[in-house]
Amino acid sequence: MELFVQSLVSGILLGGLYAAIGVGLSLVFGIMGLTNIAHGSLLILSSFFIMIFVQAFGGSIILAFAITIVLMIAVGVLLQGFLINRVISKGAEPALLVTFGVAIIIWNILEFFFGANFFRLSNPLTGINVVSTRWMIIPATALFNLGISTVVILALHFVIQKTLFGRAIRAAAGNVNAAELMGINTSRTYIYAMCLALATSSVGGLLVGQTFGFFSFSGMGYLIIAFGVVVIGGMGSILGTFLGGIILGVAQLLGGYFFGPGVQTLVGYLTLLVLLTLRPQGLLGNMTRK
Amino acid sequence: MTHKHVLSSAYKLIGIKSGVIVAAIIALALLPLYGSAHAINVGILVFSYLALGQMWNLLAGYSGLVSLGHQAFIGIGAYTLAVVTVSYGGGFFMSFLISIVIAVLFSLVISFPIFKLSGVYFTIGTWIVSESVLMFFRNWRFVNFDAGMNITRAFRIPQENLYLGALALGIVSVALVYFILRSKMGLSLMAMRDNPAAAEVRGVHLYKTKLICFLIASTFITITGVLLYMNIAFVMPGPAFGIDWAVSMVFIVVIGGIGTIEGPIIGAAIYVFLRQFLFNFPGMSLIILGSIAVIVILVAPKGIMGAIHGKFGFELFSVRRKMED
Repeated sequence: MELFVQSLVSGILLGGLYAAIGVGLSLVFGIMGLTNIAHGSLLILSSFFIMIFVQAFGGSIILAFAITIVLMIAVGVLLQGFLINRVISKGAEPALLVTFGVAIIIWNILEFFFGANFFRLSNPLTGINVVSTRWMIIPATALFNLGISTVVILALHFVIQKTLFGRAIRAAAGNVNAAELMGINTSRTYIYAMCLALATSSVGGLLVGQTFGFFSFSGMGYLIIAFGVVVIGGMGSILGTFLGGIILGVAQLLGGYFFGPGVQTLVGYLTLLVLLTLRPQGLLGNMTRK
Repeated sequence: MTHKHVLSSAYKLIGIKSGVIVAAIIALALLPLYGSAHAINVGILVFSYLALGQMWNLLAGYSGLVSLGHQAFIGIGAYTLAVVTVSYGGGFFMSFLISIVIAVLFSLVISFPIFKLSGVYFTIGTWIVSESVLMFFRNWRFVNFDAGMNITRAFRIPQENLYLGALALGIVSVALVYFILRSKMGLSLMAMRDNPAAAEVRGVHLYKTKLICFLIASTFITITGVLLYMNIAFVMPGPAFGIDWAVSMVFIVVIGGIGTIEGPIIGAAIYVFLRQFLFNFPGMSLIILGSIAVIVILVAPKGIMGAIHGKFGFELFSVRRKMED
């Protein structure tokens, strides 16, 4: 029973991290109908950037993180401006395949430079438990992840729903032609959206790097987690990713509790497949296209 | 020139084309007599990858089913071969038969959930199915978990036999797609691709047509998996169910020309030769392949064959019906 409660609590906390991993994917899909297969690789790319800059600039993780966000925004401008914007109007498949190619390029470049080594970002919260009772242990890292992810998602929700910039993004998502007639440069809006998504992915990269650590090829695994989160929550629904993250996290840890930790990931995938079949639009899906 | 003349010259061209195709097949079938060991080895790869590419083309190019999960079937073929020959002492023929049965059953089972998904959701769904199968095999004691299995019986297969098997598979895959497209089902597929709603109203069974294509492609990819692993002779879950297979299928079809029969032939040849060439630059090969694929999608979205057809109107395998007298 204690283990069950612990699994449930850990699942919810893990869900917070999963939401941070998935929110960028959801944003990009909601706004331009693009399934960004490079999402996971870009997230791990930001983890590597943070690691490199921590070493280069004397160990300050905050400084390294700030530089990484700027760099990832630049990556977003290049990726969207030079590659995706050129194929986005030709239907879903070409854009999907372009991001697939980009994912492979990023992951192999990382493998070329860093091999198959395991890396982890330094984490001052390691080993500290906020709550430690017979029923449950809540590590400070997990709570920190949940907190940061909540802040990021609420901030993103606020930007999309309440600001003029967000209104332009939603207009471009709703109807490209009408938005252009109203004087919105949709190509540029897409670039902004990609930059916003990659900035949030950097947060995901930071949390993943501190919590789990990463390999050069970890991106594909995180991409599937991000898909899971987004598909369960509803593609394009920012707040839905939060729900999706928690459901996926709880499903994985309860699956681990019932069937053993080896099949934890498998249970997560199967949950995802079942939910995908029963409710393809997701639990809170609203901004769906087609 | 009159109408008749145009037609007769068209027929003459068809005659020349069939002659060239037959001559090419004979020359390729006799390769073990005059080719080097290296040429035979390359041939095995080219024709196996041709079969994979052609089947992915049938799915993505003609049925609108963009799958990133068909590496599941390669792995299933590989493990069927390993289990049948190693665990049960069966032969290769038996492995092929059982792999076909498993492939059909497995595609039928997964078609229930994933055919409810459309577009990108289908793509993601197939991928998650494949990853789930990978996870399942990694946790399966019977197949030795993640440690893999040696396919001992495959150690001493003559390369010539593998080559002829791969060649047959490659030719059959091309012929199969050609005849599917020339049949009534080909018309259904084209109608479905151009306007699904209108096609359905005119009596095309969308679900059934897609399912048949899915079954054919999955089965063929499984058979190719068996053949490929008769060559590799060692199977581990990671590589057998790896996304690399999907990468190669996408690359071959995108480079060659999606939705053309000739495309995967050109694509498979380019892919295998590039892999051979890039073997000297370890670690760089997928970076370069990925970059080429991205550039081709941006510059020539219809691939090499699409560009040739657009410019010269040349097709080796025309699936369009020509008007008769």
